[in-house]
Amino acid sequence: MRVIVWLARSAMVTFYPRSEQFPGIEDMPLDEYIARFRRECAPIIWAGFVLGTLLFHITPLFTVFVPLPAFWLSAETRDRHAQRLAAHPIYYVRQPVFLLKMIAGLLWGADPKVRAALGLPPYPADPGTWRKS
Amino acid sequence: MTHIAFREEDLALEVDYVVVGSGAGGATAANALARGGATVALIEAGPWRDPADYPSSTYGAMRDVFDDWGVGISRGRALWPIVQASCVGGTTVINCAICVRTPEDVMVGWERDLGVGGKAFRDAIWKHQDKLEVELCAEVVPAAAAGRSNLLAAKGAAAVPYDGHPMTRYVKGCVGSGQCLQGCKQLKKQSLNLQFIPEVMALGGTVLSCAPAERILLEGRRAVGVTGRFREPVTRRKGGRFTVRARKGVVVAASVTRTAPLLAASGVKHPRMGFGFRAHPGTGVIGVYDEDVDMNVGATQGWASVQYRIDPGMKIETLSIPPEMIASRLAGAGKELVARMGEYRRMAMWVVAVRAEAVGRVKRGFFGEVSVEYGFAQPDIERLRKGLALLARTHFAAGARKVLPGIYGLPYELGPDQIGLIENGPLDPRAYILISSHLFGGTTMDKDPARGVCDEYGRVHGYERLVVADASVIPTTLGVNPQHTIMALARTFAEHLLDA
Repeated sequence: MRVIVWLARSAMVTFYPRSEQFPGIEDMPLDEYIARFRRECAPIIWAGFVLGTLLFHITPLFTVFVPLPAFWLSAETRDRHAQRLAAHPIYYVRQPVFLLKMIAGLLWGADPKVRAALGLPPYPADPGTWRKS
Repeated sequence: MTHIAFREEDLALEVDYVVVGSGAGGATAANALARGGATVALIEAGPWRDPADYPSSTYGAMRDVFDDWGVGISRGRALWPIVQASCVGGTTVINCAICVRTPEDVMVGWERDLGVGGKAFRDAIWKHQDKLEVELCAEVVPAAAAGRSNLLAAKGAAAVPYDGHPMTRYVKGCVGSGQCLQGCKQLKKQSLNLQFIPEVMALGGTVLSCAPAERILLEGRRAVGVTGRFREPVTRRKGGRFTVRARKGVVVAASVTRTAPLLAASGVKHPRMGFGFRAHPGTGVIGVYDEDVDMNVGATQGWASVQYRIDPGMKIETLSIPPEMIASRLAGAGKELVARMGEYRRMAMWVVAVRAEAVGRVKRGFFGEVSVEYGFAQPDIERLRKGLALLARTHFAAGARKVLPGIYGLPYELGPDQIGLIENGPLDPRAYILISSHLFGGTTMDKDPARGVCDEYGRVHGYERLVVADASVIPTTLGVNPQHTIMALARTFAEHLLDA
């Protein structure tokens, strides 16, 4: 499981890197998010997320023509790989990668630092509570 | 006033009517039955979340109020998410409470083609809709809460030109917080967890939450109750078994994706069970403007056009979505994607919901999960392309600098002279990112018991005291948002049950 989390982290950092305007997803509590996501999400979504992560790492040969897993690529080549994978012609490759990008985006786009960079107020916490009686 | 949430102990109850599902159909039916003097138990698979419990982020909304994380998909050539809620109040908690009367041409078609209804039926539906509009404070979106995206859409449509209007919604005094999809913490949206369900309890009814129904109890061909096991919402751990016996009838309103599978799992047999699934799949075009639009400010959906509802068959409307959803909606990845997100505040997203001809099927999958088989026919893709092109034209007419079509195979951004690329866009449904939110069918109404599962009062053909009161009975698409129709049908069916 630690390997999957490490691979997922690497992929998510590639999808949402630091820029001049925004913090990167690596500047957010990413390990905690992945652990929470795994605990809280529906099993089939976790399965799709893992599939997207694995696809991301095993496919550089078909996108940037380098026979290495994505985590061994330079940051620049990995960025190019992510762009090509997100627009891959095979639908069933594109979809798990879309899921990975969406799950990473749920953290990145809702982060107070990203919202501040957009001039938006932070979200209040999600209470996660319900009426029990 | 009784509300029973998750519990470890078994529970047995006996009431006049048990209603499965607390969304637009179930809550309205339960409310009408309770007002009629019956004792009612309302059973909801999800938890009861009050406004103080509502999430703020999309992650929180998917976790806390969406049905199983929004993981439901329809499977055809493309996989499209089905958005529904699982909580007390159902999808009325997370939708935009859009209130549109059932079009006459739709009901005339039901009468002509299916033998369902007639003038008295139509009048009853509209009479109920009159009352519902008063009870749930239907209001036109106030100008002060419209938000710039909605105002731009109005401006663009007027310039194209075509007809449009500010939406009428079950929202009392909207303040434009832009949080319809997470549940309105401002207590303005009249979702049914705040309206009809508390009244059911005040009238002596019982609400069971965290209580997914597993089976309708049958004695021969008579429905006599419902059973299931409580489920803890976070851990999904199962609790005690609940069994609710119904002296007078069982009303099933578990949603289009759940009602037919529940009936089938209960042994209710009909050759058309699960068939006739229809939807209004939709997607959007993002316009990018020179100045900030701030689509997250103002009514989430505040403007619409139904001019093209019949020909070619689509509805145009605004929809604001937050940055964390736009992040995955924009094409690209990495540095390119993050740079594109810099334009978020200048973006406005408007959507087309296609009144699709395609017909699918809902069933229980191999592992007991809900399975929806549904794929677009070519005419539907052609409608979709027309709608997307119209959206692009509307954006440019409203002053957009460029549009982001979000169609695989097309450039990321298009200028005003490139709308033809959308009109001649791919015919492959896999090129589009669609979401199905208006669902119909699965246990459709038809006078002929061989062609439809239910009759015009939602009664399941061949069974006694078993009524379906959600969008599963609706035999066609409507071309408009269905909540008003679902509620009017549910109230009609419930009053008919009381009269019987």
